[in-house]
Amino acid sequence: MTDTPPDRIRVMVVDDHPMWRDGVARDLEEAGLRVVATAGTGTEALTRFPAARPDVVVLDLQIPEPNGVEVTASMVRDNPAVRVLILSASGEQQDVLDAVKAGATGYLVKSASRAELLDALLRVAEGDTVFTPGLAGLVLGEYRRLSDAPPAPDRPDTPRLTDRETEVLRLVAKGMSYKQIAERLFLSHRTVQNHVQNTLRKLQLHNRVQLVRYAIEQGLDDEIEG
Amino acid sequence: MYRALAVLRFVVLVNAIALGWYRRESLDHPGVAAAVFAGMTVWTAVATWAYAAPQRRRPLLLVTDLVVALAAIAVSPYVKGDDLRATLPGFWVMGAVLAWAIHWRWKGGLVAATVVSVADLAVRPGITQTNYGNIFLLMLGGPVVGFLSGLLQEMARDRDRAERAAAAAAERARLARVVHDGVLQVLALVQRRGAELGGEAAELGRLAGEQEVALRALVQTQESPWSGAPPGERDLGALMTGLQVRSTPRVEVAVPGSPVQVDGAVAEEVVALVRACLHNVSDHVGSDARAWVLLEDLGDEVTVSVRDDGPGIADGRLDQAAAEGRLGVSESIRGRVAGLGGTATLTSAPGQGTEWEFTIPKKGRP
Repeated sequence: MTDTPPDRIRVMVVDDHPMWRDGVARDLEEAGLRVVATAGTGTEALTRFPAARPDVVVLDLQIPEPNGVEVTASMVRDNPAVRVLILSASGEQQDVLDAVKAGATGYLVKSASRAELLDALLRVAEGDTVFTPGLAGLVLGEYRRLSDAPPAPDRPDTPRLTDRETEVLRLVAKGMSYKQIAERLFLSHRTVQNHVQNTLRKLQLHNRVQLVRYAIEQGLDDEIEG
Repeated sequence: MYRALAVLRFVVLVNAIALGWYRRESLDHPGVAAAVFAGMTVWTAVATWAYAAPQRRRPLLLVTDLVVALAAIAVSPYVKGDDLRATLPGFWVMGAVLAWAIHWRWKGGLVAATVVSVADLAVRPGITQTNYGNIFLLMLGGPVVGFLSGLLQEMARDRDRAERAAAAAAERARLARVVHDGVLQVLALVQRRGAELGGEAAELGRLAGEQEVALRALVQTQESPWSGAPPGERDLGALMTGLQVRSTPRVEVAVPGSPVQVDGAVAEEVVALVRACLHNVSDHVGSDARAWVLLEDLGDEVTVSVRDDGPGIADGRLDQAAAEGRLGVSESIRGRVAGLGGTATLTSAPGQGTEWEFTIPKKGRP
């Protein structure tokens, strides 16, 4: 499934617990990946990010300021090609959703095994989206929340899921693998992946549009341009 | 309150002095009048300073304040002569009355207003309509200002108390997150390393994993202490998340990010239903089975799905399932869902596991 040889993938590990950071970094190196940088705080992560040029950032959400959500947003803004895999201990639901909206494309709880971590990392590096059932449930809830909000005529860009996307996302939330979903819906594995990716992409795009609109409303665009 | 009063005192002082200067021709003793105005100015300054600090607002200060005002009224007939139409301090005396009102509420305002009114009437040769009007307003204004200031102070106290409580709760929540996060990290690490080392360490890792799941579920259910749930309703999302504590079958729960408010009795019955389904899974699929629970908020209804990774039931094997007792359980589950005014469907296919899906109105049976 992976086309890129693991030793070509540059990884950065951001976690404030040294034990974890070193453990994850060691696991990844043993698997043949290149760990190009580690960081213990948000500030360190953002400082080292430009020089390290990682392909994938393995990021803990609970780190000293700026937090994981802000770090995700900032890294994706600097380099839209970077992939962010959230590795979080406490499953902070809102934070995970915010990080995903900010541009993270994978989420894993820390108790996941080494094999699961490696698999998730390789998939994220490939541009795939790694959803846990929990995250799928959050994303479904977020779309419902957006569509339940009173429709505003000047905001026609509220993202909506197609029926097929909703169907796929629900099955992910029920713990089915892409392969099982593909079998049940008579789709190809790749199509299922695309549907899942689209659900995230729309949400991320909406988030960016909202941020830009907010900036314009607040008059911040003048400062940016000037 | 006292700061506003200080400004008011200054304004009425300037007013009194200006009126005094304007009527200087009619004064019998201009020198004494100047002395009185000087005294009023000094007292205004002293009172402004004295009232500024709460610890100086003693009864002595308030009594002195009132006595100074009364003294200024008392010397008025001597200074102005018999044709007294207005006292020297004029409206300036309201400073003392309002201070009493602020300090001792409506009772203080009433007492001070009465004393000043009596003094004012006593020094006048006769009472005109205007005099009466002023006295009436003073008698009314003292208690009303006192009552309002009492109300304001109570509101300020309540607000402070609420702000303190909210700040304390937020800090507790933040601390809990930090502490829990640390513990969760270590438990997850032990679980991971233990599994890799094998042997006894694997057993330790398994135990750590169970505790990690239990603690994470607890943290997630406690995350929003200020959910503001309407009385009689419960957040079904939080209740569902709590189900992850089970170790057999291993359960993963997916819920929306925002609270799902459901009638309390309905919420409890739904959780009991899901428990029954999970129990069924561990009975029939095995203790190492995995299960997934999905909760969706559809506005007036909720949809709850419980899926397992068991072998599933082929179409023709329902009879066998019935013989195994699985159908008995499923009939009871259907009955309970119908009791809530909802619908239940059971889907199963070989290799796809077995899945229950309930759609239940949030308010229960209409």
